[in-house]
Amino acid sequence: MTAKKLSSPLARVTGIFFIVTIVCLTFADLTVTTVDPWSEFGRLASGLISPDFFSTDSLVLSLAYTLAFALLGVLLGNLIGFGFALLFSFRLIRIFCAVIRAVHELFWALIFLQLFGLSPITGILAIAIPYSGIIAKVYAEILEESDQSPLEVLSVNTSRASTFLFVRLPDAWVQFKTYSMYRLECGLRSSAVLGFIGLPTLGFHLESAFKEGHYQEVSALLIVFYILIATMRFWMKRQFLPVYLILSVVILPWDTNFSASNILRFLTEDIIPYPMRDNTASMMDWVHLLVVTQAFPGMLATLQLTMIALFATGILTMLFFPLISPLFFKMKGRGIGHVFLVIIRSTPEYILAFILLQLWGPSMLPAIVALAFHNSAIIGHLIGRYTENIALRQDSVTGINRYFYEVSPRIYRPMLALLFYRWEVILRETAILGMLGVATIGFYIDSAFSDLRFDRALVLIAITAMMNICVDAISRLIRSHLRLKTSLEYK
Amino acid sequence: MNILRATAFILAWCLIIPAGSVKAERKFVFTAIPDQDESKLRQRFGKVALYLSKALNLNVEYVPVKSYAAAVTAFRNNQVQLAWFGGLSGVRARNLVKDSRAIAQGKKDPFFETYFIAHKSSGLEYSKKFPKSMAGMTFTFGSKGSTSGRLMPEFYIRKAFKKSPQEVFKRVGFSGNHSRTVALVQSGAFQVGATNFKVWKRGVKDGTIELNKISVIWKTPGYPDYNWTIRGDVDRSFGSGFSKKVQQALLQMDDPELLKSFPRKGFIAAKNSDYKPILDTARMLNLID
Amino acid sequence: MALLEVRGESAGYAENVVLSDLNFSIDPGERVALVGESGAGKSTLLRMIYDRCSDFAALVPQNLGLVQALTVFHNVYMGRLHDRSLIRNFRNLLWPRGEDASEVEDVLKMLRLEEKLFSNVGELSGGQQQRTAVGRALYNPGKLFIADEPVSSVDEHQAKQILETISREKETVVVAMHDRALAIDYCDRLIGIKGGRVTIDEPSAGMKPGELDELYRVSDE
Repeated sequence: MTAKKLSSPLARVTGIFFIVTIVCLTFADLTVTTVDPWSEFGRLASGLISPDFFSTDSLVLSLAYTLAFALLGVLLGNLIGFGFALLFSFRLIRIFCAVIRAVHELFWALIFLQLFGLSPITGILAIAIPYSGIIAKVYAEILEESDQSPLEVLSVNTSRASTFLFVRLPDAWVQFKTYSMYRLECGLRSSAVLGFIGLPTLGFHLESAFKEGHYQEVSALLIVFYILIATMRFWMKRQFLPVYLILSVVILPWDTNFSASNILRFLTEDIIPYPMRDNTASMMDWVHLLVVTQAFPGMLATLQLTMIALFATGILTMLFFPLISPLFFKMKGRGIGHVFLVIIRSTPEYILAFILLQLWGPSMLPAIVALAFHNSAIIGHLIGRYTENIALRQDSVTGINRYFYEVSPRIYRPMLALLFYRWEVILRETAILGMLGVATIGFYIDSAFSDLRFDRALVLIAITAMMNICVDAISRLIRSHLRLKTSLEYK
Repeated sequence: MNILRATAFILAWCLIIPAGSVKAERKFVFTAIPDQDESKLRQRFGKVALYLSKALNLNVEYVPVKSYAAAVTAFRNNQVQLAWFGGLSGVRARNLVKDSRAIAQGKKDPFFETYFIAHKSSGLEYSKKFPKSMAGMTFTFGSKGSTSGRLMPEFYIRKAFKKSPQEVFKRVGFSGNHSRTVALVQSGAFQVGATNFKVWKRGVKDGTIELNKISVIWKTPGYPDYNWTIRGDVDRSFGSGFSKKVQQALLQMDDPELLKSFPRKGFIAAKNSDYKPILDTARMLNLID
Repeated sequence: MALLEVRGESAGYAENVVLSDLNFSIDPGERVALVGESGAGKSTLLRMIYDRCSDFAALVPQNLGLVQALTVFHNVYMGRLHDRSLIRNFRNLLWPRGEDASEVEDVLKMLRLEEKLFSNVGELSGGQQQRTAVGRALYNPGKLFIADEPVSSVDEHQAKQILETISREKETVVVAMHDRALAIDYCDRLIGIKGGRVTIDEPSAGMKPGELDELYRVSDE
């Protein structure tokens, strides 16, 4: 009997991940280090219900900057990504795209800060570069899956370009537009978060306000941010786009000057390993310090945290999706569920982790909770929507029995597909959370940047990217092994 | 649709033309390390910019940055020409930019101190000798790049224990800035922390520090810290003698309202060699290559 | 000279032979109907004919081959993509030229679909989509019109009109049809398929629908 149970590949994979998670948990540091987390939480809560919209210097301007960076970054990312998507059959392009999307936008921003300083180019490129890698992959998939049946009716003499324009592009175009809207939402989140490292967006003030405990200001900033995202479909109309783009270009402070010599110096000196620049330093020491005391522990902690967060995301998803599923709740109840999920998924995990770190202190716990909540809100939302199309027989059971017998078995497969799809995303975020003080590899990257040791920072970023690419490959392997489809992700 | 497009273009032109017609004026930009109370930075240093504009008869602007490293980078890349650095960030900046000079420091800055502070629940009390009983507790530094919040406390911890802070303490954090360190120790998030004595004294005066929850347990010996550093090439780009003029303007700053931003009672002249001890310590701790 | 001559060949997909021992030819000016049960191999035979004649043929496949995201104009215009320059094609994709639009409109008028010129195909009914696909094949300069059930989704009256239009506009027509009466009325030659073979190949003049019953009888084997 056990043999039969184990033969289900879904159950087996779940089991393996469960064991890995348990192993990771036994070594994890999950303590709440604050003596009295609830008093701080009380202050946060009372601040949140009494927002103060007038305490931030230039709130409107930072809101405008947040929008401008997101719009220009996503637009540029779209253009480059579309170009790459057309060339996606070349192996080199695929690898290049995998590498640029494996590096988180915050790391890109830290690099571009060295090249262009606080010029708007930094923020725009930090969004556009990783996004173009993501967009290229998604667009290439869409183009591949586009309806090919009109091909046979075209005359055999039709040029390839015309065929592409009339047959492959139009159907894909519709999906490109939908996906771009989704990307713009991501772009707004990214843009806000870029403020944490110094760009003049909402995150700039959010970070300060948080650090200083000005929770009324925090509340105001978060509310403004939620409204911005929640109302996106009303203000983001295609015909307004040119106006928005022109305004974006106009309002950004382009007068920050940067020189080619800075860029040249960064590329030809700063990122060259220090011992190669200074003969008195030992290469062995440099490598030892970097690999043994930083990269290795950083990678271990990153993987550990990622695995726990991934499994926790799965569990929370199973709890969250019924909140918005018509199979379990009536209209009204679902409304509350929707609001709940929208709020958690609109909050970037970076900000969520930041809040929890303030409350609980710097263990892995806040990071796990932040990652699991944010990602399960996203997947839970998609799965909840997916259940709308499940037609149960009229006499099917209700309540808990329905959950376990009718619904869970049906959604488990798509849920795993999405979960594995987001594995890479979770890893990328985990690395970044190190910048907040959790001991993942991002901690060492942040340290290298604050010591102005760009040679080390770049090696560590490259290692992070490699990890990402590996996890992506493993995830793809598992998905194809389990025959999991992921088209739900962007539809 | 066409009307919309037309509106878009008109709007754009209305905005571009005035933006373009403003002549790009040569402006002098400075920044300051975000060592405390980051919000209101713009307000606080905006006033300093105004003062310098008048004193130098030139458009002076302040740019806020999020980290010590960002301040150094901006200085290095000539996006700011003057900066209010800490000891360590100043040393780093001057290492990276040839001919840059420390020109002024606060009156107290040659004898700066770091206070080790502890939450009451830790049971630690003030002592003249380094309190070794803090081993095994949780500890927070300030910013990773701070002199008083990182470099000097780490130096004394290593000196006392002959081990790295990560080995001495149960947990080591980097709060980000000095006022945050005080807040984290006060809330009990960390049992012990190291902060800048100026920030501590101001907090006690303002009443934001509750002395029944938190107290000073050790004070470091004095060391040189904050400084105004200017790029060496300003004399070329803003006229000869310009750095002298900036130095004069800083030394003559006497409005208490302005000095509160730092917070200092006034500024005195400084030179690069004043910070030799900091450079040596940073090298010793392997914070500078 | 015949447009196409097939002597003792087979047709199918890859290894899978659907029709064998085929012997027929198609001459210019003929109107041929393929009849037979569904699954008998009509589509396979049409595909074979199209493959041989693709240089001068216009096709209406069973799934219509429409691009759902484009308008009726674009889908019909696609019949001449190969005849037009890339620049013209690109321009028409974004902002249709008046000249091309009126040409397409003329084709649509014959099919009573001119009102839908700039409607998205995805929003049309099944019959309208079918007429769009026919329109595309008519607009295609190919003189051989090949269609798989081109009137299955329209009513009888319209079906007749459409078939008349096709007969008027195209020199040679090969259509697969399940409606035997229509096939006899509008084509001058019938090819019947059963059991992987061509069992009937004769002029339709004077034939009665009942005579084709044999094709549809379930065999006892």
